[in-house]
Amino acid sequence: MSDKHLSSQFDSELNQVSARVMELGGLVEAQIRHAVEALSQFSLNAAEQVAELERRVNAMEVEIDHQLTTIIARRQPTARDLRLLMAFSKATANLERMGDEATRMARMVRSIIDSGAVRTLPSGELHVAAELASGLLRKALDAFARLDTKAALAILKEDDRIDREFDGFVRKLITYMMEDPRTISASLDLLFLAKAIERIGDHSKNVAELIIYLVEGKDVRHTTMQDIESVVQ
Amino acid sequence: MMAPRPVYPPGRLSLHAWRRRTNALALTLSVAAMGFGLFWLGWILWETLRLGLAGMALSLFTQVTPAPNDAGGLANAIVGSLSMVALATAVGTPIGMLAGIYLVEYRPRGALAAATRFVNDILLSAPSIVIGLFIFEAVVAPMGGFSGWAGAAALALIVIPVVLRTTENTLKLVPAELREAAYALGAPKWRVILAITLRAARAGVVTGVLLAVARIAGETAPLLFTALNNQFWASDLAHPTASLPVVIFQFAMSPYENWQHLAWAGVLLITLAVLGLNILARALARGR
Amino acid sequence: MPHSSAPPSAIEVRSTPKISVRQLNFHYGKFHALKNIDLDIPTHQVTAFIGPSGCGKSTLLRVFNRMFELYPDQRAQGQVLLDGEDLLARTHDVALLRAKIGMVFQKPTPFPMSIYDNIAFGVRLFERLSLADMDERVEWALRKAALWDEVKDKLEQSGASLSGGQQQRLCIARGIAVQPEVLLLDEPCSALDPISTARIEELMAELKSEYTVVIVTHNMQQAARCSDYTAYMYLGELIEFGATERMFFKPRRKETEDYITGRFG
Repeated sequence: MSDKHLSSQFDSELNQVSARVMELGGLVEAQIRHAVEALSQFSLNAAEQVAELERRVNAMEVEIDHQLTTIIARRQPTARDLRLLMAFSKATANLERMGDEATRMARMVRSIIDSGAVRTLPSGELHVAAELASGLLRKALDAFARLDTKAALAILKEDDRIDREFDGFVRKLITYMMEDPRTISASLDLLFLAKAIERIGDHSKNVAELIIYLVEGKDVRHTTMQDIESVVQ
Repeated sequence: MMAPRPVYPPGRLSLHAWRRRTNALALTLSVAAMGFGLFWLGWILWETLRLGLAGMALSLFTQVTPAPNDAGGLANAIVGSLSMVALATAVGTPIGMLAGIYLVEYRPRGALAAATRFVNDILLSAPSIVIGLFIFEAVVAPMGGFSGWAGAAALALIVIPVVLRTTENTLKLVPAELREAAYALGAPKWRVILAITLRAARAGVVTGVLLAVARIAGETAPLLFTALNNQFWASDLAHPTASLPVVIFQFAMSPYENWQHLAWAGVLLITLAVLGLNILARALARGR
Repeated sequence: MPHSSAPPSAIEVRSTPKISVRQLNFHYGKFHALKNIDLDIPTHQVTAFIGPSGCGKSTLLRVFNRMFELYPDQRAQGQVLLDGEDLLARTHDVALLRAKIGMVFQKPTPFPMSIYDNIAFGVRLFERLSLADMDERVEWALRKAALWDEVKDKLEQSGASLSGGQQQRLCIARGIAVQPEVLLLDEPCSALDPISTARIEELMAELKSEYTVVIVTHNMQQAARCSDYTAYMYLGELIEFGATERMFFKPRRKETEDYITGRFG
């Protein structure tokens, strides 16, 4: 973060936890990338890597929480330090959830492979949404590191695209299931997978909202796009 | 548009008005009291200047006190006063300071300290003529005659309680933390007292000494029974010695006009000296 | 119970103790101010004593350099070991002890002399240095106390001419100049503004690599910010002692938790 505190130790503690949060973001991003790969190539190996990363993500969440608690207990942060630590705390929770969603994706992929319905499913339709979601997280982490509210605003708008993709996909899936009821079981797996992708987009959106909260001191959750735009201006 | 009038609870305004009237009355009274004091001080200074300046001449400092209706100065009285005051200060200051240091730094409580303080208070408020008589009995009578030494001894007795009291008071004002800070570095007691405590109280102690000097410079009574007077140069302090206050006393009471003029000139000298010392003491006290 | 056994809190303290307090009792006349204190002050760490007024935290600090001996009706019984040697023993020279254990007070106490002499005063008590060596020592101490840049051009000016925060750093420099091993700070920031306070807290963090620092503070946030270990005292007893991080997250004793969360009394 910019501008030094009189206490250099406080500075180094903030820098450490900040680096940890970014590292966690990187891990979750890798998790999602592997999950998308597992989906597009129906790769058991990639799915395995998602599960592998999940353990590290969980451990890191606990570690970051501990660091945050310690800083709050010892430094009594105020103003932007307070907002920063609150944002870190919530971003950590969101990132870990994204990790969970990626793990869910990997599990669904494995289940679809096991069902043997791989060839017939319209999984190709999901690739666009999956790429969008994983890109969105990268952008959110990037904007967080640079405290870029304009980029955060763009992320909020982009999430709407993922939601629209999801709605369209659900409609297609329903049609597909009605045409061939034997694929219902595998299709449901695919539906859960799509839902996980949609959730990842939502979490990225939450992170973007935290950037605005951190920089502007305004909580823009549950407000309209116009409100958010007027805050960011 | 008018600004809205502030609304106060009932009774507050009348109480406020009463308080303001009391304040104005008290202020008027204290200004009047100050004016009363300044008026007399101004008058004294004015009379002293008016009558004293007439007698101011170089001969005042070069010639000894004359016979009636003759020309002369106050040189022997000035030198006598200066030497007795200097000696009394030189003797009285260290005794007073040491006693003051003892009372604050070594034995602030206990019977000896209480007794010392009590005796000092009596000495401080004793009429100076009593001190003169005491020295007459203790020094003049055994030595077989009036002398400058006896005069200096009497003045020193007046210096001691003043210096003791101011030393004690200013040392007491030195915060305990300052002493502790010096002890915390491992300093021994004598070093703490010399380098820290006395130094911190320096301005106050010097002020006390100056005030003591100012006090004894104008003392007449203790000198009447001890140094007496001398119309001529005293070769040393073993003889009766002239001093300004005693000469003023003698000359002012006399019917001779030239003596009266010299008395006024002497009064002006003492007044200026005392005034100067007081101003110096104030400046020092402020400068710390 | 043998007096030399380590107190239960010692399990949390990993570094070797610089000062070990064993069964210490302290009286002001008839008033029992410290009751059976057992405590290990770890080396090269900052240890904070917190607690409400009158809990004995300052009293405990003033036992460490035997400052209480200046006052006739104050008595300490028990053992206070400095590197294993009982500093309360009559045979322990008090001047040498105080040269090893420096102290800074609540109110800044610049001596009535120049900034330079303020630093040199303590050094001259124990060392004969050449003029050049003394200059070097004064600069070293002022640099350590983060004051050099502010006073290097006015070393001959009176110490009282400095601001409160600068005076307090001058006092810290004066304490450091005699090269002690332990630095005792008795509410060093209570007369200072927040900026000066932050400077001194930062200074403590820097000094702990070379000195063992013990700070008494009535500001528990300050203890949280700048100490590694915290001791909570109440009515002359040591209620709890442990790593600051834990003390301010999950204290073991309810009394401690009530105090640090403001549920006291």
